[in-house]
Amino acid sequence: MIRLIGAELFKLRKRLMTRVLLYVLIGILIILYLLLLAVSKVVIPEHGPRVMGEIQNLLGLPMAIPFALSILSSFGSVLSVILLASSMGNEYNWRTIRTVLICSESRFKLLGAKLISAGILVFFGLLIGVIAGFIMSLLTTAIGGYAFNFDFVTGSYLWDQFLQFWRTYFVLMPYVLLGFLFSVVGRSAMPGISLGIGIFFLESIITTFMVLAGGWIAHVPDYLLYFNVRAITAMAGLPEEFAAGMAASGVSIRLPSPEHAFITLAIYSVAFVVLAFYLFRKRDVTV
Amino acid sequence: MTTQTTTTTQPNPVKNNDIILRTIGLTKHFGKLEAVKNLNLELRRGEVFGFLGPNGAGKSTTVGMILGLVAPTAGSIELFGRKRDGNSWPLLRRVGAIIEEPAFYPYLSGWDNLEALARAIGGIPRSKITEVLERVNLLDRARDRYDHYSMGMKQRLGIASTLLRDPELIILDEPTSGLDPAGTKEVRDLIPQLAHESRAVFLCSHLLHEVELVCDRVAIIKQGVMIANAPVHELVTQGQLLQIKVDDTAQASNILKSLPWIKSVKVEDGYLIVDAPKDSASRVNKALAEHNIFASELTSRNVSLESVFLQLTGGESGD
Repeated sequence: MIRLIGAELFKLRKRLMTRVLLYVLIGILIILYLLLLAVSKVVIPEHGPRVMGEIQNLLGLPMAIPFALSILSSFGSVLSVILLASSMGNEYNWRTIRTVLICSESRFKLLGAKLISAGILVFFGLLIGVIAGFIMSLLTTAIGGYAFNFDFVTGSYLWDQFLQFWRTYFVLMPYVLLGFLFSVVGRSAMPGISLGIGIFFLESIITTFMVLAGGWIAHVPDYLLYFNVRAITAMAGLPEEFAAGMAASGVSIRLPSPEHAFITLAIYSVAFVVLAFYLFRKRDVTV
Repeated sequence: MTTQTTTTTQPNPVKNNDIILRTIGLTKHFGKLEAVKNLNLELRRGEVFGFLGPNGAGKSTTVGMILGLVAPTAGSIELFGRKRDGNSWPLLRRVGAIIEEPAFYPYLSGWDNLEALARAIGGIPRSKITEVLERVNLLDRARDRYDHYSMGMKQRLGIASTLLRDPELIILDEPTSGLDPAGTKEVRDLIPQLAHESRAVFLCSHLLHEVELVCDRVAIIKQGVMIANAPVHELVTQGQLLQIKVDDTAQASNILKSLPWIKSVKVEDGYLIVDAPKDSASRVNKALAEHNIFASELTSRNVSLESVFLQLTGGESGD
């Protein structure tokens, strides 16, 4: 298994797409920070000084890590889906699946190695994203003329950020594993990427309609991915105006409890992995 | 391509002539389609085995089953004297294969592709990568991206990849596809050499002349059923073609067609081409003479593997 993980990391490391995804992630963080900095300098009368203050808070150092993680939980999902779905699906597209299989101890180990190696890269992607966010926060603080104050760095703060980092990692998994599953089902990268990302975006729209429909339908999103992901990312304590989705669109929602969200997302993640392993192990490889 | 042996590690010393691969009643159904039916094969160490058949005959399915890519519906496979079961990696690690066409990562160089495979297999030093690339004459282009390779270079990289793990069984599916004549000859020379290194080579090719030149034994499969399995020399010496020049080809043709031991008679460029049992030239000559037809020329042509193949498969194109 270790050998296969090494081989998978070698391939991912050598691949231009891996670096491009990382550059995109960093680029998104830079653009968002610069946009917020620009907005923080503009007076918007109808929103008043409270919103201005919250933007300045986001740009400030104490919120740098939670804000970066919040961005990473959304854009990071998309980029991670592309990374993992293409890692698996392109084996079919390039017809290398047979070459790889006859060099692998077992199908189970090959799939496991792909998941673990992509998981390692996602971890480093998140880490680099957080570092980039912190650096951008330092820059915007300097450019914006705000005060540098590191009093917020306490043991409990660091522990909170450590937990939030892993929460963010955790909420990426269902979508990433969904993309992985569809790349195995469809024997191609495209179904994994399109469905993984498609569901990521469509679900937020569909759940909005479900909430608006009321009655028992309004409770269905509690058992889908989006609400549960939101329930966990909400633990970062960012201002409501900057949480993605319905809060910003003015629709009032009641998110599930964090415990409910963790269990639901874990069940989905395990189900996607088990199904992917089952199909991959069972099917003949004839491409 | 270098022809001398440069391997640093020799395959396990096992006595010659032992059976490397055996399939017993191997069967595969895809839904209602019976792709392979009750296939029994044996491949011995040091042997080059040709596996022939028309398109869709079941060759790739058979190779897929041997390599664990396709699950057999029935039957079993033995590699190196051991039945292939759940954990077949210790056995499959001793097998190198290219299936249908070499497939590698287009964004990696030839070297990196081999390194990725070597890392996955494990226990392969970097010097081995150099060695196999040198052996297929690809070392000077090893750092070029795979998607910039010509078809011939891709084939050679495929062969290099099969040699990485010093396999005792090498499965090559169309190894000379896309190669120029010089490259084809190099690969053709390499194949028996690999077998002489105490390995066995399982060769699928549609180039019947090539198979005839390099293979010791041949199996022909049609619609999933094995219709011939014999040493090449036996197959090609089962019959012979006689080329006969006579004045009245029409009458001579009718006379010969009436003989039960003559398989076929046709006229080509004024000559009668007669498919007759081996050493039957004198009997053919006598039969014609009995009807006052005298041959001005009578020459014997050996039956090629191609004609045997076409006869057995009903003239379907080989693949």
